[in-house]
Amino acid sequence: MRSSIITRYKIWIISALIISIWPLFLSDLALSLLSQMGIAVIFALSYNILLGQCGLLSFGHAVFFGLGAYFTIHALRLINIGQLTIPTPLLPLVGAFAGLILGITVGLIGTRRPGATFALITLGINELVHSSALMFIDFFGSETGISAKREGWLGITFGSQLEVYYLIVIWTFICIILIYAFTGTPLGRISNAVRDNPERTGFIGYSPVMVRALIMMVSGFFAGLAGGLYAINWELVTYENVGIMQSAFVLFMVFIGGAGYFFGPIIGAVIVTFITLYLSAFTGAWMLYLGLFFMVMVLFAPSGIAGILMLHKPVWQRKLLRRIILSYIVALFSCFVITLSGIGLIEIIFHWSSTGYTNSVMTVYGIKFDAKGFLPWAITFAGIILGGYFFKKSLSNVKKNWSLVSIELQSKCHDDSSN
Amino acid sequence: MIEFFIGSLLNGISFGLLLFMLSSGLTLIFGMMGVLNFAHASFYMVGAYVAYQFSAFAGFYPALIISVSIVGFLGAMVERFGLRHVHKHGHMAELLFTFGLAYLTVEMVKMVWGKLPVDYRIPHTLDFTLFNIFGTTVHAYKAFMMLITIIMLISLYMLIKSTRVGIIIQAALSNPVMVGELGHNVPLIFMSIFAIGCAMAGLAGGISGNLFSTEPGMADRLGLIVFVVVIVGGLGSITGALVASILIGIIMNFAAAINYSLADLISFLGIASSKKGILAIKISQTAEVLPFLLMVLILILRPKGLMGTRET
Amino acid sequence: MILQIKGLHKSFGKTQVIFGVNLEIEHSECHAIIGPNGAGKSTLFNLISGLYKPSSGNIKLKGEEIVGLSPFEIYRRGLSRSFQVLNIFRNMSVFENIRCALLWQLGYKYSFWQRTNTLKEVQERAEMILNQIGMTNRRDVIAGALSYGEQRRLEIGITIGSGAEIILLDEPTAGLSKPETEEVVKLIHNVTKGKTLLLVEHDMNVVFAISHRISVLVYGQIIATGEPEMIKQNRQVQEAYLGTFNEKAA
Repeated sequence: MRSSIITRYKIWIISALIISIWPLFLSDLALSLLSQMGIAVIFALSYNILLGQCGLLSFGHAVFFGLGAYFTIHALRLINIGQLTIPTPLLPLVGAFAGLILGITVGLIGTRRPGATFALITLGINELVHSSALMFIDFFGSETGISAKREGWLGITFGSQLEVYYLIVIWTFICIILIYAFTGTPLGRISNAVRDNPERTGFIGYSPVMVRALIMMVSGFFAGLAGGLYAINWELVTYENVGIMQSAFVLFMVFIGGAGYFFGPIIGAVIVTFITLYLSAFTGAWMLYLGLFFMVMVLFAPSGIAGILMLHKPVWQRKLLRRIILSYIVALFSCFVITLSGIGLIEIIFHWSSTGYTNSVMTVYGIKFDAKGFLPWAITFAGIILGGYFFKKSLSNVKKNWSLVSIELQSKCHDDSSN
Repeated sequence: MIEFFIGSLLNGISFGLLLFMLSSGLTLIFGMMGVLNFAHASFYMVGAYVAYQFSAFAGFYPALIISVSIVGFLGAMVERFGLRHVHKHGHMAELLFTFGLAYLTVEMVKMVWGKLPVDYRIPHTLDFTLFNIFGTTVHAYKAFMMLITIIMLISLYMLIKSTRVGIIIQAALSNPVMVGELGHNVPLIFMSIFAIGCAMAGLAGGISGNLFSTEPGMADRLGLIVFVVVIVGGLGSITGALVASILIGIIMNFAAAINYSLADLISFLGIASSKKGILAIKISQTAEVLPFLLMVLILILRPKGLMGTRET
Repeated sequence: MILQIKGLHKSFGKTQVIFGVNLEIEHSECHAIIGPNGAGKSTLFNLISGLYKPSSGNIKLKGEEIVGLSPFEIYRRGLSRSFQVLNIFRNMSVFENIRCALLWQLGYKYSFWQRTNTLKEVQERAEMILNQIGMTNRRDVIAGALSYGEQRRLEIGITIGSGAEIILLDEPTAGLSKPETEEVVKLIHNVTKGKTLLLVEHDMNVVFAISHRISVLVYGQIIATGEPEMIKQNRQVQEAYLGTFNEKAA
């Protein structure tokens, strides 16, 4: 029994060890990145409780996250002036309970009509909170936000990023375990039923509205917890944290990672956080790139990165990967050409317009040129068109190899079952 | 007092008509294709920006026509190459596609035209006071806006109710498969409806961008209110959209003109109160938030909306 | 009397579909409802199980009025139904489908503090039902991937999962081949022992094999109720519906 738990979860256990020990050797900047990733992971997993598990598309998840952050930072403020005592490690629970109460409230008023109507409702509620931020200045702190100082506990000052990192990482692991366990509870199972067939769920004794409301409550709890960690990490919360961009980002994380698998949002959170932090240093158009990445996934890979990985799992397990890898490399190379040209085009337009169309001399990919010339446009457009053409051709090759591999997979399946 | 009333009423109705122009297109597309187009307000925004760009060298009126044509064409392309492809992945994918499109449009507009508002102006030919009524001035351009909106809506109504094309559209609205079996090109009809809806949004942008400020946030600002209109009016109902549009337009404009707060009201009644906190918020400050409050109220009291019919 | 329907009317807008149905179902009886297509049989089921609200009339389950209750409230009072158009959970495994159907009745409701896999009662009962419907070896197959016949059996499995006292089966043998139909009839007979069964069926062999009583629904009205032999001889019924059957039997 012991050994089978270890083998089943070996990837998790190995990552846990890496995440715990490696950071002792990292810089503060890297630790900050990892801290943000941890928070994003909890936020994304909480979102997938709604989306992947229960089929609820929400455009307003920032409400739970942001308000959780606000309640936590106000609590921290009260601790700073001595009016409240909560040990710092337990502070995120303030945000969590705020999220829980908000979750059940929104759940009871908003989940009667699923699908697009629900999505609109969440969007409206998000905007309601966001615009009222400038009305309730005492709570939201107008444009500068609310700040507080982290308090020490049992000798740990939480002054260094390393200490904050460990706090976040411990909570991240707790949340991953709890959310995973939740999927196996009766409520977790029934939420899958509500996702697949809400009508029939009524006929097996469950009120779909009640199930959805409870799911929102659980999801709000974890989102609020993530918000609480955010407040502790940055010691500052502004009304942008209840904004629609925040909701859009968590949607991107979960969808790019893959909503159909438990680990999908984790992958998506890591990747999107990385893009948000590093890409913004290289180019001002990073938000556009993030959006394009999302669109590409929606159009061509709706099951996300997790979906793509799981699709190849049987191929990898049966060691048939070498059959398709060559055609993949060719296809990916043409993709690379398209992407490079596309990025070039966007960068040209971006650089030129950011000078107000006055200065057309710029440096892209380390090459200096004038955007008014013919060559830069010709090269980028040619790259996109030629890349596209070769991509289409290589795609048919990929499809051919895949069908050969699937035939092999099916025949191997038959061999196994007849033995 | 009466100037305040008439002024706000006129502003409310003209804004409401604009909202209706957008929400009717949205409702039409939703009723036809079952897709809630999150990017609807994006076409509104593109309409305003394109009209601005062309008005610089072509003049206001030609720019308007060019803008509407371009936006309609873009709508057709989005339907043909985007929506149609995503349709087979299900409803969720369609919603996400339009949401992603909305996000991308804002980013692309920011990239090409920058983050600050652009100087899209009211044409000189219409920049005067039309007449005075009960002490309020009615600006010629606003009258022009209302006129165009009403003409547009009447033409659309007549197109759908009285022409042969319109009858086919009505049929496709309730049973697209059957209409296809009867030999009509249903994909073409879908594409045309989508293009018309987007063109209407573009027209709305072209005629109001110069009045309300043309900047990257305009799609979100107006788009959210349009969604509230659609929820309050009831998803799928055009009459509901009309009622809700006018209602919300009037509420917002009346509120924006009231520069008093609850605290002022209380002291007017002779009761002393601390002028702090929630009581000190002026009604005019709440104007932006009121549509969403109305939405939450409707959700609690009458979840189907005022005249809700169709479900997703 | 476990189910009592009085003066039931239903209109959709201007179209009236049910014109005053009166029906009394006895405990533990197997009662079939037959009639031509469009007579309103599925509508009747939808009215009883709470999917539609009647325009007028009442329905009493075990003496309690259930008109106006939602489907889940009616289910919790001991009435479970199957669907003519398969209404299973397509993305979940067979075992999961059955297990979900048990959770409420066994008291686990909205619990989020217990692990379903460790609930012995649930696991055992699910295995038992899986066995009853003969799908133990298909327990981990995703429901959407099953054959039509298997999905029909799963549909019945979900319906009986709760152990409800009164079961409504809406055309359970629709689309099945002759041997599959015989299997399903045996299955129905086994799983509804001691329970009340209300059955909508087109296959007359099935109807006459297992029903205690039959009601005939034509154009939204019940034109006859009685034991199988009596129904077979009934003139009105023969004219309206069974004409062909009698000729075959002759």
